Amino acid sequence: MERMIRNIRPLLLLVLLNSLGMLLLLVKGAESAEYMALLCGIMCAVSIAAYIIITLCHLGDTYLFIIISMLSSVGVIMQSRINGANGIRQTTLYLLGVACFFVTLFLYRWLHRYFKRFTLIYYGVSLLLFALTAVLGTVRNGSKNWIVLGGVSIQPSEFIRILFVLSMAAIFTNARNLGKSSKKQMPELEIKKMRYMRLSIAAGIAFSNAMCLFLQREWGIALLFFAIYLSFLYIYGESKLFFGANIMAVLCAAFVGIRYMSHIQVRVAAWLDPFADITGKGYQIAQSLFAIGAGGFSGSGIGNGSPYFIPVVSSDFIFSAICEEMGVLGGMAVLMLYFLLVYRGFKIALSSTNEFNKAVSVGLSVMLGIQTFIITGGVTKLIPLTGITLPFISFGGSSMITTFIALGILQAISGIKGEVTDEIE
Amino acid sequence: MKLNKRIITVMVTVLMLFLILVIYLTYFTLFQAPHIVNSSYNQRVWEKEERILRGTIYDRNGAVLAESKQNGDSQQRIYPHGSLYAHTIGYNSRTYGKTNIELRFNNYLLKTRSVIDVIKNEQTNKVDFDKGANLSLTLDNGMTKLAAQLLGKDNGSVVALNPVTGEVYCLYSNPSFDPNESKLIENWDKLAEREDAPFFARATQGLYAPGSTFKVVSSAAGIQAGYADFVTTDSGKTNVGGKDFKNAGEKAYGEIDMGDAVKVSSNVYFTELSQKIGKNIFEDIADKFFVTKKVPFDLDTKAYKLKFDDFDKAELASVSIGQGKLQVTPLNMALVACAVANDGVIMKPYIVEEAFYDNGDAIYSAPSDVLSRATDSETAQALTDYMVGCVKSGTGTAARISGIDVAGKTGTAENERKGQTHAWFIGFAPADNPQIAICVMKEYSGKGGGSVCAPVASKIIRYALNNGLIN
Repeated sequence: MERMIRNIRPLLLLVLLNSLGMLLLLVKGAESAEYMALLCGIMCAVSIAAYIIITLCHLGDTYLFIIISMLSSVGVIMQSRINGANGIRQTTLYLLGVACFFVTLFLYRWLHRYFKRFTLIYYGVSLLLFALTAVLGTVRNGSKNWIVLGGVSIQPSEFIRILFVLSMAAIFTNARNLGKSSKKQMPELEIKKMRYMRLSIAAGIAFSNAMCLFLQREWGIALLFFAIYLSFLYIYGESKLFFGANIMAVLCAAFVGIRYMSHIQVRVAAWLDPFADITGKGYQIAQSLFAIGAGGFSGSGIGNGSPYFIPVVSSDFIFSAICEEMGVLGGMAVLMLYFLLVYRGFKIALSSTNEFNKAVSVGLSVMLGIQTFIITGGVTKLIPLTGITLPFISFGGSSMITTFIALGILQAISGIKGEVTDEIE
Repeated sequence: MKLNKRIITVMVTVLMLFLILVIYLTYFTLFQAPHIVNSSYNQRVWEKEERILRGTIYDRNGAVLAESKQNGDSQQRIYPHGSLYAHTIGYNSRTYGKTNIELRFNNYLLKTRSVIDVIKNEQTNKVDFDKGANLSLTLDNGMTKLAAQLLGKDNGSVVALNPVTGEVYCLYSNPSFDPNESKLIENWDKLAEREDAPFFARATQGLYAPGSTFKVVSSAAGIQAGYADFVTTDSGKTNVGGKDFKNAGEKAYGEIDMGDAVKVSSNVYFTELSQKIGKNIFEDIADKFFVTKKVPFDLDTKAYKLKFDDFDKAELASVSIGQGKLQVTPLNMALVACAVANDGVIMKPYIVEEAFYDNGDAIYSAPSDVLSRATDSETAQALTDYMVGCVKSGTGTAARISGIDVAGKTGTAENERKGQTHAWFIGFAPADNPQIAICVMKEYSGKGGGSVCAPVASKIIRYALNNGLIN
C-alpha cells in the first residue's frame, strides 16, 4: 500500500496526459466527445488497474508498467490525431497487448526454468516463419514481410525478435556455464572446444537470421539482430578474438551492402543529402525533417500541425509527427521515457540472480533501446533510415503485441527472486 | 562481478545513444531547421498561405497598393497600380516566388490574431481569424505616379524622402514591370531577356558614378579637413597626379571659393582641394555619408566598397568629382541630400510604417533611428547655402520654385559608354526648414543633370507642396 501511494504522482501524470491529450483532440473536432472520453477512460482505467494488480500481487518492478502506459497513451493520442478510426484500433491493440502482457507474465513466472531448453525450437520456429513469409507473404513498402491470414495482417519478423533473444540467451548462458558443472571435471581444452562450438552455433543462428531478414529487405530488424548478438557476444563470449572477428564480419556485410546493393545505396544517399533528390529518394526523410523543423522546440500543439504531409506517418514516421505537434521537447520527453524503460530493463538484468533470466532481460533491453534508436535516429536523419516500428507508439498489431510480450517477460523476471542459479543440465 | 560490469558497459552504450539523439535534436532545431523549413518543397508553407487571406498593403493615405481576393479555393494577389510598385512591394507569385516587401514582411502579411488576443479584446465582436495583418507604407501613391510619368521612357529612378524622419515618399525605378501573376506568367521570358533589365531595381541596387552631385560630400570633407576657405584660380583645366581634369566646356572661372565652386560645379577646384584633404579624411567622410556602405533598409540595397588606401593622387581627385572608381546607388545620393537637410544627421530610411490587424491593433511600427551623423550642423548649414546658390544662380536653376528656396546640386557623370553620361540631381526643400529630400537619376541620358533631372525634382517638390507633405 505504501508503495502505491509513493507512485501516485506518475499515475496522476498519466491521467493528466490522457485527459489533456484527448481534450485537445476534442477541441480540434476530430471525433465526438463520447468517443474521446471512451478512449481516455480505457487508457486510464486499464493502466491503473494493471498497476494495482502488479503492486498488490508483488509481481516485481512497479515502474515498468507506468512507463509503458505513458508511451502507449502518447501512441493512442497521436494515432487518434492522425486518423480517428485508428485511435480506437490502437486502443484495442493496447488492450490485447495488456492481455498478452499478463498471460506472458504468469506463464513465464511459472515456467521460466524450462525456457532455456528450447534453443532449437526457437530457431526452428523462426526459420519456419521466414519460410512462411517467403511463400505466403505480401509486399508492402518495398518489403515482403507480411502474412495476411483471414483478414489479419501479421508481421512475423516482429515475433522472431523475441525468439531470437530467447535463443541467444539460452546458447550464451549455456556456453558460459560449461565447465562449471560439479558433476565431472572436464579438461580445460575440452571446455574451450565446446565453448567455441556453442559460440559458432550462436553465430550461425544470428547470421542466418540476419540473412533471411536481408532477403526480405528488413534492414532495420537485421541491424537490430546484429546489435543484440554483438551485445551477447561482448558480455558472455569470453573471447576477444571471436568478438573482434564478428565485428569485422558485420562491418564487411555492411560494406558489401553499401557497395553492391542498390537498395542500401539509395538509403545512404538519401541520408547524406535528402534535399538533393527531394522529389525522389529523399522525399520521406525531407518531409520528416520539415515536420520536425516546423514544430520547433515547443511544437505546433496537438491538432495544429500538418502531419498528413509525412509519408507512412502512423507507423515508421510517428516520431516526426510527435515532434511537429508536441515539439522537439515533447519528442525528447518520449525519448526519456524509453531511456527510463531501457534503464529499468537493465536494472532488472543486473539484479536477477538466475543466469538465463539475466541474459533474457539484457537481450530484451538491448532490443528495446536499439530499436527505438534505429527508428528515431532514422527519421531525424542522425543515421540512415531503416524501416522499423517505434515500440508502443507505431500503429501495428504485431509490433504492439510482441513488445508487450517482451515487457511481460521482463516484468516476470523482475518478480522472480532468490532462486538457486547456475544450475547445470 | 565481471558479468554485471559488462552488462553495465552495454547499458551505458545503449543509453548514451539516447543522449546523442537528444543533443542532435537540439542542434538540428537550433541550427538546421530554420533553413530547412522555408524550402519551397515544404508544403506547410503553401498550406498556411492558402488558409490565410494575405494582408492588404496601403500607401500613406490609405490607397490600396496590393490586396488579395478569395477566388474559390485559392486566392489572387492584385496590384491595382500595375508596374508602379514592382521594385518596392514586389510580387507574390505561386510560380515565381516572392520579392521585396512581399518577401521581407511575409510573416506579418500572414500573421493572424491569436485566440488569446481576441479573448483579451472582448469588445471586438467580429473577428476574422483567417486574415493576415495589413501593411501601411510611407509611399505616396500620387507622387509615385507622377515620378513614373515624369521619367516617361527614360531609364532611371526617383527617390524622395523626409529627411527629418526617414519616411520614403517615393522610390521608383524605370523601366518596371507588371507584378500581377497572370502578367508575370505571360511576360516572364520577355522580361528576363530584355536588354534594359526591367527586373533591376535601379534606385536601390543600381551602382552608378554620381558625377558632380558628389561634390557635396567633397565640400563636407574639405570643411572637415579645415579648408573651408580654400581658394584657387580656376583656368578651366588642371593637372593632378599626372592626370588632366577639365571643367565642363573647359570654362575658366578665375579665382573661386567653395561656394562658387559648388554653384558652377568646378572640377578644377575640387580635384585640387582633394589633394589637401587627403585619403584618410575623405574615407572617413564618405563612410559617414554612407555612400560606400550598404544602407540597412526594408529592401535589399547594394554598395561598392572603395579601397581608399590603394588610391594614387589622380584616383582620389577623380573620386572627389564623383568619377573614377566611385559607384553609388540613387538611394545613397538621396541620403547625402538628407544629411545636409537634417543638420548633418542621416535618419534610417524606411518604407513600411506599420503592420496592423483589421481592427487597428498594430503589431509592428517602424523604428525611428539615426543611421549616421555625417557632419556637424554648421557644416550642414554651409553646404545648404552653397546648394541654394547652385539652384538660385548656378547649374540647377531648372529646379527653382517660386515662394520657397530649393537647395540642390546637379551632376553629369561619365561612364563606360562614351557620350552617354548619367544625369543627376540631388536636393531638398524648403532650404530653411527641409521637409523633402530628393534624388533624380537618368542613366545613359547623354544630357546634363541640370537640364533633364532638375525639372523633375522641381515638379516632385511642387507636388509635395500641394499635397500637404510640406507645410
